[in-house]
Amino acid sequence: MGCMNSKSVRKFPAREDSLDLAAETAFTVNEVEALFVLFRSISNSIVNDGLLSKEEFQLAIFKNKKKDNIFANRIFDLFDVKKLGVVDFEDFVRSLNVFHPNASLKDKIAFSFRLYDLHNTGFIERPEVKEMLIALLFESDMKLADDVIETILDKTFVEADLKQDGKIDTEEWETFVKRNPSVLKIMTLPYLRDITISFPSFIFNSTNVERVDETSTRL
Amino acid sequence: MEQKGGVLMQRYELGRLLGQGTFAKVYHARNIITGMSVAIKITDKDKILKLYEVMASKTKIYFVMEYVKGGELFNKVSKGKLKQDDARRYFQQLISAVDYCHSRGVCHRDLKPENLLLDENGNLKVTDFGLSTLAETKHQDGLLHTTCGTPAYVAPEVINRRGYDGAKADIWGEFKFPNWIAPDLRRLLSKILDPNPKTRISMAKIMESSWFKRGLEKPTITRNEDQELAPLDADGVFGACENGDPIEPAKDSKRCNNLNAFDIISYSSGFDLSGLFEETNRKKEARFTSDKPASIIISKLEEICIRLGLKVKKKDGGLFKLEGSKEGRKGSLGIDAEIFEITPVFHLVELKKSSGDTLEYQKLLKQEVRPALKDIVWNWQGEQPQQLQHGVVQKEEQPSYPGISDVAPPQTA
Repeated sequence: MGCMNSKSVRKFPAREDSLDLAAETAFTVNEVEALFVLFRSISNSIVNDGLLSKEEFQLAIFKNKKKDNIFANRIFDLFDVKKLGVVDFEDFVRSLNVFHPNASLKDKIAFSFRLYDLHNTGFIERPEVKEMLIALLFESDMKLADDVIETILDKTFVEADLKQDGKIDTEEWETFVKRNPSVLKIMTLPYLRDITISFPSFIFNSTNVERVDETSTRL
Repeated sequence: MEQKGGVLMQRYELGRLLGQGTFAKVYHARNIITGMSVAIKITDKDKILKLYEVMASKTKIYFVMEYVKGGELFNKVSKGKLKQDDARRYFQQLISAVDYCHSRGVCHRDLKPENLLLDENGNLKVTDFGLSTLAETKHQDGLLHTTCGTPAYVAPEVINRRGYDGAKADIWGEFKFPNWIAPDLRRLLSKILDPNPKTRISMAKIMESSWFKRGLEKPTITRNEDQELAPLDADGVFGACENGDPIEPAKDSKRCNNLNAFDIISYSSGFDLSGLFEETNRKKEARFTSDKPASIIISKLEEICIRLGLKVKKKDGGLFKLEGSKEGRKGSLGIDAEIFEITPVFHLVELKKSSGDTLEYQKLLKQEVRPALKDIVWNWQGEQPQQLQHGVVQKEEQPSYPGISDVAPPQTA
């Protein structure tokens, strides 16, 4: 462990690092290497330090550095596992892993719960949901009257808040999500299946070693 | 971690050698998770192709591509004359494939029967883009200059080393006329075999020729063993909306899925990480909000489909499938239109391409669908200019009273 300096971060990841990340995620070694091509381009877009800042993250998603967004901020905060205000490559890969089509439903449910627990209270509470709903309506230029917003929240909490205590805990969330799978659609990125095709230039730096040629020659 | 013998990158089980060239070997392989058959081309690090997957080690590059079971067209042709209808179908599929490449700025530069494969249903597939190039690599004179191709098949201007138009070179073909060739086919072939690239026939003109178009009236030139579902009676689906008033609200609410708060929140573009991987303007989905009842939205979609020649199929909830009958570059264009209820008089509509060519879909959406939807659209999602426009027009919202509409309608200019 220990801190990484900017020089070593800019280099292509060492074979051992790629192998370790591949072992603990749904990504192969080559996919980790392809993700590094992506990470390097987005993390150096504003400050060339090999680390992803919130501003660089917003720029990568929206192609517009001026755009601020409560939801993108929330995702970044969850990627920022070490709470340093920047994301390193290892945390980027581990966090993206939950969006892989092959990641477990359990992990997707847990991550989405933390996503919506806006104030980190350990529950998804009605004021948090209202705040997010109003932010989305503003972002989308939808004008709904206050009583319509309350009606939507009422309907949602009747279904999700089984204990009717005004907040959703992790058990209630799991039950709700399994009955409403569409709520998890943002938790899967099909692009993560095609990462080596999207960023093929990783092949020039690959440090992967395989022993299959000898075997295939004998087939 | 020890690797199993014969298993490549912990993912594919290698089988028999399918072919071998100067720089590469191609193996049959099977994805050990999904069971899908693929072909894997193993080459040293001097060629790059993109297909299902790219894998690499220090010394090798692997390309995972579709396994085309029927072998090469070359083998079929070398056994004797094809029936004209079969030849035409292969030619139609070849022209369709090459036109698709050209629309993406790619020139193949090695078209020959050995690089035309047949799948298990007898459909043609173009392979081996090892000599292909992008339009951007042209010299300042707008032409390509690298001499490449297989000598027996290559277009004359490529050999002349004076620079050539890659799209025109792909149309070149060598042929002598036997006496059993039909007159309209002779005319077409003469234009294809024109040694002068400036006067040689273009792709668009080939597709207009009477010989080429014969048989294209059918819904698709691709043979497919999947049975297509019989389309629902569109009048029957939409007719229900025109019944008496007491029935309409119930029908509407049953037809559209209701959104909960989390569904609505999940539409934020800030939750959509696909921006990391794709240019913003190439997204498949387009969404708009509407302050009209579902029945009016459905009527408007129906009207658009009639004008554009699309068939409509009703699915579960608020989902409609709009399908083109004309053959596009990647088969028939298919669009899913899904209507979600936010309130009884406010809806979110999502349009998404489900099949066909992305460029065609975007062109249709931009030039036909969006203008036609203007009457019912409150705004399109994720568009700054539209928001500004509403901002200018929007008046001070009136206080909400019981019985009055929950949504302030936009002012029309």
